[in-house]
Amino acid sequence: MNFQPAAPRARPRYRPMRTFVPVSTLLLVLLPLLLLPLAAVFVFAFRGGLAAFWAALTAPDAQFALRFSLLIAMVTAVINAVLGTYTAYILSKYRFPGEQAVGIVVNLPVAIPTVVVGTSLLLLWGPIGLLGRWLDPFGLQPMFSPIGVLLAHLFVTFPYMLGTIKPLLDELETTYEEAAYTIGATRWQTFRYILLPALRGGLFTGALLTFAHSLGEFGATVLVSGNLRLRTQTAPLYIFSQFEAGNLATANAIAAVLAVVSFLIFFFLLRYTNGRKGS
Amino acid sequence: MTRRGLIGRRVSQVTAVMLITGVGLYAIWPWLPFSRAAAPPRTIIFYGFSILEEVMNQGVFPAFQEEWRARTGERVEFVSSFAGSGTITNQIIMGVPADLALLSLELDAYRLSEAGVVREASWRRFPDGGVVNRTPFIILVRPGNPREIDDFAALTRPGIGIVHPDPLTSGGANWAIMAEYGAGMRGDPERPGAGRDLLLGIWKNVVAQASSARSARTQFENGFGDALITYEQEVLRDRERGRLQGEIVYPKRTIFSEHTLVVIDRNIDPVEQELIDAFVQFLWSEPAQRLFVSYGFRSVDEKLNAENSFFGWIQDPFTISDFGGWPRAKKEIIDGVWKNQILQELNR
Repeated sequence: MNFQPAAPRARPRYRPMRTFVPVSTLLLVLLPLLLLPLAAVFVFAFRGGLAAFWAALTAPDAQFALRFSLLIAMVTAVINAVLGTYTAYILSKYRFPGEQAVGIVVNLPVAIPTVVVGTSLLLLWGPIGLLGRWLDPFGLQPMFSPIGVLLAHLFVTFPYMLGTIKPLLDELETTYEEAAYTIGATRWQTFRYILLPALRGGLFTGALLTFAHSLGEFGATVLVSGNLRLRTQTAPLYIFSQFEAGNLATANAIAAVLAVVSFLIFFFLLRYTNGRKGS
Repeated sequence: MTRRGLIGRRVSQVTAVMLITGVGLYAIWPWLPFSRAAAPPRTIIFYGFSILEEVMNQGVFPAFQEEWRARTGERVEFVSSFAGSGTITNQIIMGVPADLALLSLELDAYRLSEAGVVREASWRRFPDGGVVNRTPFIILVRPGNPREIDDFAALTRPGIGIVHPDPLTSGGANWAIMAEYGAGMRGDPERPGAGRDLLLGIWKNVVAQASSARSARTQFENGFGDALITYEQEVLRDRERGRLQGEIVYPKRTIFSEHTLVVIDRNIDPVEQELIDAFVQFLWSEPAQRLFVSYGFRSVDEKLNAENSFFGWIQDPFTISDFGGWPRAKKEIIDGVWKNQILQELNR
């Protein structure tokens, strides 16, 4: 997966005769792997007719779950955009002992099962957790509240912003930066006026990727949220509960909406990166 | 860059900004100060085991909201979560802010008191020892009963696939084990190993284990297995509405599950105590018990059960007290027989 705004590059010309076989092979492979499962979601979502689909979508818990998910995803994207950029900046521009270890730790969330993230958050912040036990007497309880969900999402999606920004910073020519320093610019000024404009594309793609991952997060959320409808139930949790309860149509109505949102996100990503290539 | 390119760029930038603002507004709308409902309602946080979802959300909660509003003029909001009884018990031990929990088996209530969440046997202060309603365990088979399953014994035949919830997380699964063991034991009271043999025969044929009774049913409906062992209530309501894809087989001997209410006192704000007490009382009141009956549960009040003509007849019903109560049954049968003998033998 690479959404880096790439340098202009010659694309091969479209030749129908040579294209047909390899492209149709690809589609044949994609059909059972990706396309048909997605189609099934939509078929089940609309099986009860448009009215049933609409009713499922406008149920209060469904509306809450969708809004709550979008909100969490937005806040996650904003916070991790800042944190991820800062981390990338430090890792790219400073040399320090233990640098590699930090580099590995910040990328770990990609590899750790999300369920483990959920349990570790609970064991830290939960009412019987290492820190949570000291907070509990004060009535402070981050777990089983929106804050807990946010903490889980920040953890799980941390590497995505970093992953898009760091390569950009690493590849950036240092000449402009050095020039800025020689005329007396501070580190912040250099960052603000030299680096940030160059990173704009990366910030956009990184934030969208973070948003998309947060929107679909399940494993950690199910543990830290307490799965309370109208309180902490995100859209994926709602889908799962409805599926478990045997309400396939309701589950798939929300699933269809999430699928469309994800499709739009990646549509924008591709358009954006392609647009950059063209210009 | 060309002029057209520039304009196109502007347009897509504006579209993107508008899109993001629109989605943001939609998401945050209910939390904006002016879109809030006038008076903040009083809240009850309720955790229930899986099959309770419909009767609570559609029946009991609205009925209590109406009653409370008629009595005090206040609005009550229910925040609820439904999952396997073991799952919600673990969640409560981990500290979810539940006010009350309706558990599928008393064993989970004992686990709560062992963890120090509630006082030991504090649920016994409620009517009927804390039992809100009951339902017998039955066998659901495919339409037309193609494998000719007529009782638990038939499930031991080779080649039959059984969907069974997982006793680790599901209360229903524990009841089902007691039903299977008890049916074997009572069917052949002279032979000491009869209960164990029936249990072993059934578990040889278990092809799928789900986390709750509800998800076991979803698995069955998605085409897994030939038989599902579950609560009568779980399938009764759909049969009444003609929506059941399958047939209920009533075993000659089976257990009545009893569902226990616990109140998690330490999570209750003193201000809400009166409200919670009223709701607890309401659960055993006639209107609530009637609702349970109309959703397929058997009431603790025998005379109300006659109202639902769909209830099946069971020749030899038994309860957990026939095994000396849950703590003993857990030790001797769930752990002693199922876990230590049968699972070992099946190498799971």
